[in-house]
This record gives sequence, C-alpha cells and structure tokens, in this order.
Amino acid sequence: MGDFPEIPLDPSSAALAVFRENYGFVPRLFRAQGSLPRLVEAEAALANSILYHDTAFSRIEKESRVLAEAAACGNAYCAALQWQTLLLLGVPPEQLTRLTNGDPPSTSAPTIDECLAGAWANFTCTLATGLGVAPDFAPPPLPSRIQSTAVTREFYTSNVSIDAAAFTFFREQFGFVPNLFRAQAARPDVVEAEAGMIASLLLPEDGLTRRQKELVMLVACAWDRNEYGVAFWSEVLRRAGIPHETCDQIAAGHLVGPDEPLLDFAAKLAARVPEFGEADILSLREHRYTDCQILEAIAVTALAKFMNTLQIGLGVALDFPPRPVVWPSAEKIADLPAEQPRPTGEWVPADPDLETLNAVRSGNVDAFEQLIERHSRRVYRTLVGILGDPEDARDAMQDTFLKAFQHLDNFQGRSKFSTWLVSIATNTGLQRLRERKPLESLDEGASEAEETFRPRQIRAWTDDPEQLYSQAERRQLIESSVMKLPAKYRVAVVLRDLELLSTEDAAAALGLEVPTLKSRLLRGRLMLREALAPHFTRRTSEVAN
Amino acid sequence: MISCADFMAEIGNYLEGDTATEVRLQLEQHLAHCLTCQVVVDSSRKTIQIVTDSGSFDLPDRVLKPIASEIMNRIRKEQGQI
Repeated sequence: MGDFPEIPLDPSSAALAVFRENYGFVPRLFRAQGSLPRLVEAEAALANSILYHDTAFSRIEKESRVLAEAAACGNAYCAALQWQTLLLLGVPPEQLTRLTNGDPPSTSAPTIDECLAGAWANFTCTLATGLGVAPDFAPPPLPSRIQSTAVTREFYTSNVSIDAAAFTFFREQFGFVPNLFRAQAARPDVVEAEAGMIASLLLPEDGLTRRQKELVMLVACAWDRNEYGVAFWSEVLRRAGIPHETCDQIAAGHLVGPDEPLLDFAAKLAARVPEFGEADILSLREHRYTDCQILEAIAVTALAKFMNTLQIGLGVALDFPPRPVVWPSAEKIADLPAEQPRPTGEWVPADPDLETLNAVRSGNVDAFEQLIERHSRRVYRTLVGILGDPEDARDAMQDTFLKAFQHLDNFQGRSKFSTWLVSIATNTGLQRLRERKPLESLDEGASEAEETFRPRQIRAWTDDPEQLYSQAERRQLIESSVMKLPAKYRVAVVLRDLELLSTEDAAAALGLEVPTLKSRLLRGRLMLREALAPHFTRRTSEVAN
Repeated sequence: MISCADFMAEIGNYLEGDTATEVRLQLEQHLAHCLTCQVVVDSSRKTIQIVTDSGSFDLPDRVLKPIASEIMNRIRKEQGQI
C-alpha cells in the first residue's frame, strides 16, 4: 500500500466530498495523509481552485498539463491518476499517449493556469514519492525522462494593487506580500487557497515547529536550485533570528544541528527522487520523528516544489537580493564532519517584551499596559507619519493597541514584538488613510525610481546647523516640514529616520519592495533638504569668512 | 568622469554607504571637483542628522498616559472586567 498507514478521514470531511466529486473516489495519495486532516482539507481547497473548474483553461486542458508533467517527472502514481481522470473526462487514449510522450512541446510562455497546473503536478508528485503510495490504477507506459522545454520569460512585475483581501494573510504572516503571490493577483481564489495551505501546513506547531518547517523549505529550495526560494526563506528565517550566514551554510548543504536528519530527508525528496524510499522514512522514525512530523516534512517539501515550479513558470522576480549560495551536492553531505548538536533556540535573539507578553497571555490583562507604555511613542510616530495628522494618529494608536491585544495569539515571536506592533500600526494607518484621504495614496507613481530629482537649493549649509535654533524650534521646523511631504515619502522618512527601522524592515512594514522604499526615502530626504535649506544655509558674512 | 545627473542617480546609495567600492571611487572623484554635488551631499547628511536628532512627533507623558488608560479601559470592558 505504501510507507504510511492509512488513517481514515472523518467521513463528513469536506475534502473527501471534493475528491469524490472530482475523481469518483478518494485517491490513496490523500487517504495516506489521514493523520493530518487540516492538510488534506487545504489540499482539496488548493486543487479545487487550481484544477477542478474551467477558468481561462478548461479542466481537461489543466488535467492534461498535470499528466504531461507527471510523465516528465516519471511519477507512476500521478501519471496513473491523471490518465484515469482524463479517460473519464472523455479524452481518447491516443491523445493521452501523446501527452505522456511529451509532445507537442510548448514554445510560448505559459499562462498562469498552465503554471498552476504544473505546480500542482510537482506538488502531488513529491507527495506521492514521499508517501510511497501505490498507484490507484495500473500506470500507463512512461517514456524515459523527458526534457522540458525551457521558455525564457521576462521577470514578472505586477501593476495590480496589493490591497486585495487575499493578500492580508501574507502581510500578517510575513510582513509583506511576496512577489510570487502578487504575480497571481488575477486569481485571488487561488491565492486564497495557497494562503490556506500555508496556514494549515506551516503555521501549526503541533507536529514540527514552524521554524523547522521553514528550514525544510529553505533546504528543499536550495536542492531544487531555486534562487527565489532560497532568498525568500533566508529572509523569513533571518527575521526569525537566524542569521543569513547560518542560512547560507544550511542551504549549501552543511547540515549541522539537531535537525540534520530532517533536512537531509527533505533534500533527498526534493532533488534525489530515484534514491528516495522507505528507508528514509524508517531513518526519520529511528530519529524519533513521529509519523505526523514526517508527513509534514513531506508536504512542506512538496509545497516548496509547488512554489518553485510556479515561480519559474511565471518568471517571478526575487523579493530580496539573491543569497551567495554554493548549491549543495550529495558529496557534501557524505563529507560532513560528525554532527555538532546546536539547539535551534540558540539562534533566536531574546525579545525584551517576551516576559510581559507571557504574563498577558496567561491572563494578566493589566500587564498589557506596560507594553503600551513601552511602545506608544513608536506607534504614534509611525501613525503620524502615515496619516499626517496628530489627532487622527492618536485615535489610530488606540485601534492599533486594541488590535494587537485581540490578535496576541497571532504573534509567534518570529519578529520582535515592537516590529510586529509597527506593522499593525502601519496597516491601521494605511487603512485610515484610504478611508479618509482617498486622494493621498501611497501606491501611485510606480515609476518614481526613474524620475531624476534636481536639487534647487545649492548654497552651502552652515557647519553646525543644530546650533542655530533651540531644540523646540528645530523640532517644530522638522515636524511642519515632514507634515508637508506627500504621504508616501513622509512615511518612508518617518520609519527610517525617526523610527530608525532598517530599510528592509521599513519596506516590509509597508508591503513595499526594498528598491521602492529606498527610492521614496531618498525623495523624501531630498524634499526635506529643500524645505530646510533656507533655515540652515550660511549667511553671506559666513561665506566671506 | 561621471556627470552630476549620474551622481544624483546614485546619491541615495551613497548616503546609505551602500555602493560598491568601484562606484564609490567614481562618485568621490566627481565630488572632488563638483561644488554643487558637495553641497547636496553635505546638506543631505545634515538633514538626516537633524531629523533623527529632532525627537519629532514625540508625545509627552501627560498626553500618553490618558490614552494608555483609555486603551486599557476598552480592553477590560471587552474582557468583561468592567
């Protein structure tokens, strides 16, 4: 039957109904995951959004793409399932044979539907390999591995607004909307199902920890040689306190630490399919991983393959600069020195608010006041930067802390509490800005990077400008000048130069790409310079001296 | 030798100390001869310094305390403690 025992799913499960409706039965692939019903539900939702309905492509066209991809991967399980499904949908066998033979090769850039079908194929093929499920039907003859036709594409850039509700999840969990999901803005139903998959698979901590799963993602992407995935997961892990250097080492195949067996397992499943087998599952069991944890590791690796396939298909541009990764190889694993235990916890910097947070979480509501006192200035500055109105900012500050309190369970310590608060403040501020000042958008002017700024004030400034005015005068001058900046420049200046966030954190809080944030910051600083120049330039007498 | 427009295109990264050595040397070569760009760089640095040191948008305790109390009141009300 397979390497995983079948655990019956709840007969009333919506997922079972979806699979029965679309296949006429529940394929073994899904039955083998009965120990994690949340995962099966998310898979059903994802399959439903990607595959089972006609969109720009018909269901037959999409299922055909999955068959072709499964055949190209040499995956007997998925090829058999797809073959049977397409037969039932009325596709003649000779047409199916053409698909499994890999012809006709596609030469045009794939559509989003084709990319999604290809990603789903890679997802299910990885699951089938990892779970070792026997085919539901006799597999069709598969030719030797087919080389897929590479289609060069321009990197995708989306003009679609990132305010769509489907993106909220990504803002909340990652602090920004990754390009991979922005690129699918035309299919919010799919983005929502993908968010559901990430929420069901990556966030729960009842099997593997979220950190372990993100490490599996990183390793699977590295072994899949996906630059986008490596840069993305390295950044996610960096924000969780694991330095880039450590991620680079892990990605390069220097798998040290207590999770070595787990990461080695993911690496093999991601990139060395022919070698993968039951022994790998037994090995993890020997290392005391539970079947549930092993199933999660397989599904996370499959999700990495899904995202990687999609990224390549859509030609999605990197969210972060690429990591200088030396791609891992099997030899490196064999040559590694003996394991040096390194608890994952060692990589995480302590958050000064953790103790107070735990007190609040265990029922001491009053302790929350300490958090308000510690962070209210920061939250207020962020809000005044966005809203440009002190009274509005004070109101929004209340909303921010209330939201933070209500969603305290969502804070999982992946960033510092203060950073999380700033990102809630930012969302609250942006929402208010949209409601109250529809004309003052943060999103317009995508081409701002290309505009060259011409300095008008070119008289030299005095050597010690801060001595010219009292602290109060300077403050008043700065506040009124900052308030006059357009919102999108103002918020960049406030987060970076008053809040002192790093460029990356400020970009993440605003859901912007780093280059956009940098460009707005520069523009804001230069506009401020123009506004302040008349107050700080040298007097004629000074010049003469 | 680069132009003032070239310099302005890179000034953001230059102010952040975020340029490759080769580019930085070119920019500094330009700066050595261009008074206008010298003024822009110097005054931009001073702008950032003044803004950062200004303590702008800082609320005094007498304003913050009542807001904090109001937030806590709303939370306690939600929790059914009032």
